Amino acid sequence: MAEKIVDALGEACPVPLIKAQNAIKEMNVGDILILQIDHSCAMKNVPEWARKEGHNVEIEEVDDGEWEIIIEKVK
Amino acid sequence: MAEVSNTETTGSSIKRSLSSRRRSSRKPKKNMLPYGIGLLVVIVIIGLLLSTKSGLLGFFWLTGIGFGFILQKARFCFTASLRDPYLTGSTSLTRAVLIAFAVTSIGFTAIKYGAYIRGLPIPGQGYVVPISLATVIGAFMFGIGMVISGGCASGTLMRVGEGFFMQVLSLIFFIIGSLWGAHDFGWWKLHFMLKGKAIFLPDIFGWFGAIVVQLLFIAFLYILAEKWENRKQA
Amino acid sequence: MDIRKNEFYKKWFKNAWTYVVGAILLSVFQIITLAVTGNPWGVSGVLANWGAWLYQAVGGSVDKWYYFSSEGAQKTLEAGFWNHGGSMRNLGIIFGALLATLFASQFKIKKIKSKKQVLAAVLGGLLMGYGARIGFGCNIGALYSGIASLSLSGWVFALFLFLGAMVGSKLLVKFFM
Repeated sequence: MAEKIVDALGEACPVPLIKAQNAIKEMNVGDILILQIDHSCAMKNVPEWARKEGHNVEIEEVDDGEWEIIIEKVK
Repeated sequence: MAEVSNTETTGSSIKRSLSSRRRSSRKPKKNMLPYGIGLLVVIVIIGLLLSTKSGLLGFFWLTGIGFGFILQKARFCFTASLRDPYLTGSTSLTRAVLIAFAVTSIGFTAIKYGAYIRGLPIPGQGYVVPISLATVIGAFMFGIGMVISGGCASGTLMRVGEGFFMQVLSLIFFIIGSLWGAHDFGWWKLHFMLKGKAIFLPDIFGWFGAIVVQLLFIAFLYILAEKWENRKQA
Repeated sequence: MDIRKNEFYKKWFKNAWTYVVGAILLSVFQIITLAVTGNPWGVSGVLANWGAWLYQAVGGSVDKWYYFSSEGAQKTLEAGFWNHGGSMRNLGIIFGALLATLFASQFKIKKIKSKKQVLAAVLGGLLMGYGARIGFGCNIGALYSGIASLSLSGWVFALFLFLGAMVGSKLLVKFFM
């Protein structure tokens, strides 16, 4: 069960989402992706995409205007 | 799309390693609400000052605040609505934009028709502009620009307010580009715009027909967007 | 009592609204704007005026430019920034967004990370600025307000905006990330 941290801080849409999609593609089932973002729009479109794909998603506000999206690859 | 809104900070059920977990509980979060209230006071004062000059000026200021607040809170992004169907396969924003088009069309048509039957000049006809090669090229350039800079006109302003330095830079060059475009405007007008024709849908379909055609077309696009999203998913 | 735990606060000021709520509220503001000012919402035309004022500030003159030659345009330029409704509205959008982020305790300065971002912002800004002038507006004036005004130009703009966005996406993935 590997864990991968992807830094998308300071990146505007759609870069965080594309980074997440690319990272997930190379991961195994059960692996966890931690995507660091500070773009408020990515906080909406990344979880929306991940949930639709069927992955487990959690969002944590780690600082003012800074979030970590934790995605567990399910399939 | 509705369920996304109230899940911003969820409890944790995904197990993650302690080393990465520790980072997330590092410092207590600041409460920025006092700054927000301070800014609100400044906004009200500016609004009052503008209103003493002219009520309309105060109105413009107030609606600007409203537009900015709504765009930010809803993360409403015209760029994403046009980009995501192709890039990521998501159409939830596209469908929201279509809803905005439909609702605003109804309101606008009511206002315009109201003026028309009372024999008053129809407001907002300055936005019914000729269609020419300049429209095509302009829209195409704008489409490329908004995707690579990560924000359209309203989106760029909104993100300046959110604290994006990159968008401050693109706003500066948006202004420079506008000046450049204004400088060349005469040439485009002479060669293309004058040959174009402005088409106001009620002139073709009648008032009632125009709004029906418009709403049916929007509904068609909405269904298309929904189908597209599900197709991509499968 | 901690307001941050208040349900009303959380719902309206802390968490994001749904896209549909945004769509409806924007529509309401659009309709009020047309009713009160006699014109729909526009953003980018104002930015051309900002350009002209800045150009004048550094000693340039736009008086001979066709775009600014009409009496109305000249009057607007003479009256200045603080008497221009559209400018106040654009400034308001920036302040409104800032207000929303502060109320949610989510403000953060996001610095530029790479040279690629600089290039993307400069090129993107120039393309949008120029494109909006010759296309009679931006995603707001030409697209949203154009379509809602029952103008066919809005739909033509939408089609080519979409095609531009496709090309932009390709460029973005290839060169800017």
